[in-house]
Amino acid sequence: MPDLALQEALLTNRERVLTQLYQQTFPLVRRHVLRHSGSSQDAQDIFHDALVIFYEKAVHGSLTLTAAPSTYLVSICRNLWHRELARRSRQPSTTLEEEHTDFAESAPADSETAPTTSQAELVLDYVENLGAKCKSLLVSFYYFKEPLEQIAATHHYSSVRSATVQKFKCLERLRTAVRKVAATVFFYENHAA
Amino acid sequence: MRPELERLQRIEDHLLHQPAADWYVQELVDADLAADTDLQRQLYQGLYVAGQQQLRRELAVIHQQLYGTKRPSRIAQCKALLSALRYQLRCYFFLAKR
Repeated sequence: MPDLALQEALLTNRERVLTQLYQQTFPLVRRHVLRHSGSSQDAQDIFHDALVIFYEKAVHGSLTLTAAPSTYLVSICRNLWHRELARRSRQPSTTLEEEHTDFAESAPADSETAPTTSQAELVLDYVENLGAKCKSLLVSFYYFKEPLEQIAATHHYSSVRSATVQKFKCLERLRTAVRKVAATVFFYENHAA
Repeated sequence: MRPELERLQRIEDHLLHQPAADWYVQELVDADLAADTDLQRQLYQGLYVAGQQQLRRELAVIHQQLYGTKRPSRIAQCKALLSALRYQLRCYFFLAKR
């Protein structure tokens, strides 16, 4: 599947495409990890990291495939597992889960949207409290990069225009909530000092 | 759109789509613009983390659907029953011989 067709398919039918990729590729990744001192859980964790990287590259248009997507994914997994084994040999007491933050930070993404500080975690709490519809709308647009036409259809908005307005209303709600807590933290930090 | 929403859109265009060449000048004119831009950048970072978490949850569901523990099929259940019965019979005949 050419890169653009894959990008289009991921944007419009993420679950189906990811399931196909999973079925084609995970057995190969599991076999590799099991043969190289890992467990099934390690294989799953590594594979999810690779799929997140793959998805982000694909929808941001920075993916250039010179082989089948499954070959590309296996290659990412081999590298991730090689890196993980090297890390474990240096720090034998740590587990793969502790490495997840590093993987997330190393994943390719827009420089403006990739998380840089723990403030992203603070915002995350407010995203969770936005309500299902607002959260879904914002995440679909800003992370999954779904086209607004698709978002308008799946969220039952009458037009792209009303979906756009709703998106900014949700963003405004999030900003208001975060701003309140940011102001409180600033107040206490200044009065504690 | 309300002016407040249009302002959010203007900052979004600058951050995510087309960085304005005169943004620095606009920040000098508009005292709140720099802080608002910084806050909006943080919102996008939070949404990035939320999206990544959702994708990982979706992948876990796919994994469960493809490789999760399934109930044994009826054929497998019958085979297990037959095997248990065969074992019981062997024990019975062994004891009967003695």
